[in-house]
Amino acid sequence: MNATGLAELFFYSASMWWVIIPAVFIGILMGAIPGFAAHNTIIMLLPLTLAVDVDVALTFMVALYCASHLGGGIPAILLNIPGTGGAAATTLDGYPMSQQGKASKALALSFVASISAGLLTSAVTLFMLQYLSQVGFYIRSVEMVVVMLFGLALIAAIAAKDMIKGLIAGALGLMLGAMGADHIYATPRGTFGILELFDGVPLVPALIGLFAISEALIMLETRTVAPAGAARSMPTWTQTFREIAGAFRHWVLMIWTSLLGLVIGVLPGAGASIAAFVAYQQARVFSRTPEKFGTGHEQGVVAPEAANNGVTTGTLVPLLAIGVPGGSTAAVMMVVLQFHGVPFGPRLFVQDPLLAYGVIMSMFVAYVFMLVTLFPLTRYLSRITVVANYYMAPMIVAFTLVGAFVPRNFMADLTIAVVFGLIGYVARKTGYNVAAILIGVILGPLLERSFLLSMRISGGDWTVFFSSAIGNILWALLAVTLLASPSISLLRRMRRKGDIY
Amino acid sequence: MSDDTPSGRRQVGSDLIIPVAGIAYAVYYVYSVWDFPPEAQRSGFFLAGLLVALCLIFFVRIGILAARGRVELEFDALLGPPRGRLGRLGFVALIGAYLLTVGTLGFTLTTFSFLFIGSLLAGLKSIRRAAIFAATASLAGWLFFIVLLGTRFPLGPFEALVNMVTSSWR
Repeated sequence: MNATGLAELFFYSASMWWVIIPAVFIGILMGAIPGFAAHNTIIMLLPLTLAVDVDVALTFMVALYCASHLGGGIPAILLNIPGTGGAAATTLDGYPMSQQGKASKALALSFVASISAGLLTSAVTLFMLQYLSQVGFYIRSVEMVVVMLFGLALIAAIAAKDMIKGLIAGALGLMLGAMGADHIYATPRGTFGILELFDGVPLVPALIGLFAISEALIMLETRTVAPAGAARSMPTWTQTFREIAGAFRHWVLMIWTSLLGLVIGVLPGAGASIAAFVAYQQARVFSRTPEKFGTGHEQGVVAPEAANNGVTTGTLVPLLAIGVPGGSTAAVMMVVLQFHGVPFGPRLFVQDPLLAYGVIMSMFVAYVFMLVTLFPLTRYLSRITVVANYYMAPMIVAFTLVGAFVPRNFMADLTIAVVFGLIGYVARKTGYNVAAILIGVILGPLLERSFLLSMRISGGDWTVFFSSAIGNILWALLAVTLLASPSISLLRRMRRKGDIY
Repeated sequence: MSDDTPSGRRQVGSDLIIPVAGIAYAVYYVYSVWDFPPEAQRSGFFLAGLLVALCLIFFVRIGILAARGRVELEFDALLGPPRGRLGRLGFVALIGAYLLTVGTLGFTLTTFSFLFIGSLLAGLKSIRRAAIFAATASLAGWLFFIVLLGTRFPLGPFEALVNMVTSSWR
């Protein structure tokens, strides 16, 4: 597609402002409520998306999807509760910033990183769509196992204070994630005979329990999230815009973590949570101040937020190019597009190329609108941290339990969320990383499926995991990732002691 | 590890809860796949073995520290500061009560009761403010989650009454 065509497409997408603006606000609101992820919201609004023209429906869904990823970071920063799984990594440094009275700055970083990543990755995708779509063809179950192991390696890296506790938390998460019917014979395992667990641990109630309910219980020990002085210190407009401008200092980190998110998003099944943690860990490994991560470091907010918005663009690539949705929201979009009779894969680019590129352009335009409408919000949203916890804690429990119920409409999911809440509470009080448990729960079934598939294909031969060039490169990268962080710390320690120069 | 005590020794009793629970679940998981064909047992055995091995390493570490007299088996840190502890325990019990009653009382009434009692247990002193807060938040929640989004959360007497009134207008 040439420059004139792209310009025409941009103005056509921008003319849909009347769809994009409400979709952005609904997306941010729903993204900020755990359990109401983009795909749930689109499902709820399905009658609307099926009734309008396909281009209007697509623009609405894409804008809502992008905005929900941005919205997921807001409660992660302000309340230590990620609105979506992709925002779990944001809690690691976003929430400590709020506790230090820097909520407004953390939100500015999150918004700038998210919007910049969205604009960059959608622009890159517009030019590279046909090439990016090939990535999905080269990633099979063997390579997926190594990608998952990347996620597992992060568990150890995230729990920097005590690696053994981090590993135990991750292994417990994996064990819980392996609950439910086995992938070969569909026989239930470790379910305590509870019917609602036969499909495995439901992710949304687990997320709500581990983060929201446990956090609400911890909140009751203090009066507010922010320090007492922050109650009187609402940032001025000048401060707000200075914070926004200051966030652009991290442009290099934003670029490479958003591209990392884009590539991970293209892999079907990988998703925003893995991308955000990979980006967080990579940012820490290559940071000049890795020891500051986890204490309210700006880079610790920028990296995961840029990556999880990079993923939003990436997940649409395999859907458009090969007809395989890269994530749950893309799968819901696929249903809507199929209803409208839209073809996928190479046929889409032959029959209706404008629609294919229009999806990505709508995304670009949605981020442009967010740029204008959202930045001023950082000034007001940060006030949430000074609301008394005796209001916040009961409200968090009551409203997030609705979110736990929504995806499956099972009353048992409320109990599952509360049980995970108690696990999360004990984990937080004793130094076991709840994000590591969640990553384990997310990765458990995916890893098991890819592992069993690879073993079946190879007839039980373990060397299959070292049989592909891409897989071997990923193994090498995994080893580097695991060894880089301790090696760099060791070198720094030796340099401080004067053993080396 | 958990907080230091005045004696300078670290409290590690509560640190053992997650590994002990993890081992218990791993044993139960292995028991649940014991009769499966070997192909289906493989991943379960691997995961359970990994978790148990890590927990054992942790126990050995705690054992060494205990032998050196640097830790003590206390669970006090788990419940947080003594101030307000009873209220926090009451709040946990209230969550249990919410789960038991929401199916019968429905979203609005359960949420109102939960927010009213919960805010008082959490430290709000004024009953009037608690009632205003609970009424406003539960009605806003009803409008948003039930009316606007149409979630299938259980409906109770309040929702039935509203439905009856609105249907009589038609």
